Amino acid sequence: MVAFALLLAVTCYAGAAALAVTPLARPIGPPVQGVVTALTVGVLAHVVALAIAGYAAGELPIAGLGAALSVAGLALGTALLLAESLARDVTLSLIGGPLAAGVTAAAVLLGSRPAGQPRGAQGLWLASHVAVSFVGIAALATAAAAGALYLVERRELKSRNFGSVFRSFPPLETLDRVNHLGALAAWVALTLGIVLAGSYSVAYGQLEGPQVIWGGVAWLAAGALALGRQLGGWRARRAAVAATVAFVLVVASYLATRALASRPGHFL
Amino acid sequence: MALIVSGISHRTAPIETRERCAYGVREIGPTLAAVCEAARAREGVLLSTCNRTEFYLVEGEPGEPDAVAGVWTTLSARLGSDATPFGYVRRDRDAVRHLMRVAAGLDSMVLGEAQIHGQVRDAWELSRGHSGPVLNRLFQTALSVAGRVRTETAVGRGAASVSSAAVLLAKKIFGSLQGRRAMVLGAGEMASLALQCLLDEGVRAALVANRTYEHADALARRHGATAMRYEDCWSQLGSVDLLICSTAAPHVVVTREQVAQAVAQRGDRPLCILDIALPRDVDPTVGRLDNVFLYDLDDLRAVVSANLELRRAELPTAEHVIDGEVERYWEWLAGLAAVPVVAGFRAAMERLRAEELTHALRRMGDLSPDQRAALEHFSRALMNKFLHEPSVRLRAAAANGRGLAIVDAARYLFALHDTPVPTSPAVDDRTTDTEIANGERR
Repeated sequence: MVAFALLLAVTCYAGAAALAVTPLARPIGPPVQGVVTALTVGVLAHVVALAIAGYAAGELPIAGLGAALSVAGLALGTALLLAESLARDVTLSLIGGPLAAGVTAAAVLLGSRPAGQPRGAQGLWLASHVAVSFVGIAALATAAAAGALYLVERRELKSRNFGSVFRSFPPLETLDRVNHLGALAAWVALTLGIVLAGSYSVAYGQLEGPQVIWGGVAWLAAGALALGRQLGGWRARRAAVAATVAFVLVVASYLATRALASRPGHFL
Repeated sequence: MALIVSGISHRTAPIETRERCAYGVREIGPTLAAVCEAARAREGVLLSTCNRTEFYLVEGEPGEPDAVAGVWTTLSARLGSDATPFGYVRRDRDAVRHLMRVAAGLDSMVLGEAQIHGQVRDAWELSRGHSGPVLNRLFQTALSVAGRVRTETAVGRGAASVSSAAVLLAKKIFGSLQGRRAMVLGAGEMASLALQCLLDEGVRAALVANRTYEHADALARRHGATAMRYEDCWSQLGSVDLLICSTAAPHVVVTREQVAQAVAQRGDRPLCILDIALPRDVDPTVGRLDNVFLYDLDDLRAVVSANLELRRAELPTAEHVIDGEVERYWEWLAGLAAVPVVAGFRAAMERLRAEELTHALRRMGDLSPDQRAALEHFSRALMNKFLHEPSVRLRAAAANGRGLAIVDAARYLFALHDTPVPTSPAVDDRTTDTEIANGERR
């Protein structure tokens, strides 16, 4: 049942991306309603899957790689749903849809059974840290998706190519605003995640090197992006490049720290 | 009953002819009344725009004057010479299809233009005194089909003129132009048009600079903008989002150095430069600067031509939508034509039945009330059985397109020539199918 619900979520995320591609192929209006519906069904199926997995395991399904990826997929899907619903646009789904589908599909392959986590207040503390951190990563992914799309559209506009990207992408200003909001949300959420992680490690004495390194890199990347935008006046191309680089850095550092971790199965 | 459209358009008549055949708002009612009267048309709508003058008419009974001839007489009198070489006539389904294509902008000079939708609606409104159920339904359907064509296809998407392409390009960078700052270099007619376009889009502050300050000032006053001396404009370049260049200078007036300096003060804010001058005002290498988006007239024309090509590619989809609606309308119209015939046919049979029953009862002498009722019931049931199949088939034949001839044949066979064909019901004419059918049955 969990696998079925997760596969339904994967299909919906991928379906949203496929729908988002249609304005590129044929110059019709963006299928906002279809994309939002697909994402809503995907997120609901995902929540059901996680609820069943959590109920069966008797704990929140956040510990262990598969479970963590599943939560990450849900966070991405939810961030995408919110962004597309508010912006009444579908372009972010071009990148966000496959990303959410890929992460969730990986969770299905790895198995989303939780790897075991502390119970009671300690468990709740840990769960809060993980949830907030995932929201931060999802927001950073959204900022990076907007940044990548900004760079693609900017290139088309500079080279005076008035093709499907010109017709179907939202204005550069809109993508820049999504990038800005994503960067700020990512930094706030990751800061909160770091605070929760720090206090958790002080309270319970559990601190793992790779987690600290990855958390630190993610926080610094999001922080640099948010501060660059807020204080350094980064906008447009510079901000788009920075968001994309920041997200790539976070993914690369995750892969590196996971490879270095003594107990990779336990990491996240 | 025949539905016809007859008139002239940009496809058949030069502008001089179209100008002379165009009718003002006040002329539409009297002209339409005269044409309907002369042609004994039951309904009429006159659509008159700068690109077409068309009479939509529902012809009267066979034997009435030719409605088309009435239209040509009117148009020829207006033109002062024979108008028939410039005209065309479409009948029945072709007339229905024609109006739907017109309303959707498929027959417009600029494919997919949106203005015609409002013009068709206005024409219908202005002709309300002469339109009835057939034309009301036709115009209502045509306007709704036009809406579908616009939403379901890309026939109306994108910019189709250079000025709208300029606005589209600027919007691709800034989203809305509401509250943006713009500068116009030059004070000629193109500059004036560009300035008006910007102000229409909600540009907050518009600056006009020209080598002759008085010209800039005159243009700025006309549009409620701010004039500035040409030498001072470069210091303002850092604060504007949009620069439109339209000077008559025979050489480049905006150099890479000037823009690079301005861009350096702007941080990462994009600057859109639209060079609509010929020869160009802006050094082409300006476009290579970071966060500067430079477009010239060729680019704007490329946007327009790409959009028109896309619109043309959407034509088959739009025609498919229209085909379906033409058939639906035609089924409704044919069904409407069958209603009075079926009703007349049944009324004639009912009269016969009642007469024969009266004779029979008289011949049979004293019968009990039950026996009379039984005979009454028998005669009515027999007649209903006989009439059921022909009624159903008549309605079906009318609806499937073969039918109007069969409907006419039925009128001839059962001597129903006096049966009234649908006329305007006494209710509001923007009725639904059911309302009209009920009106007819009344």
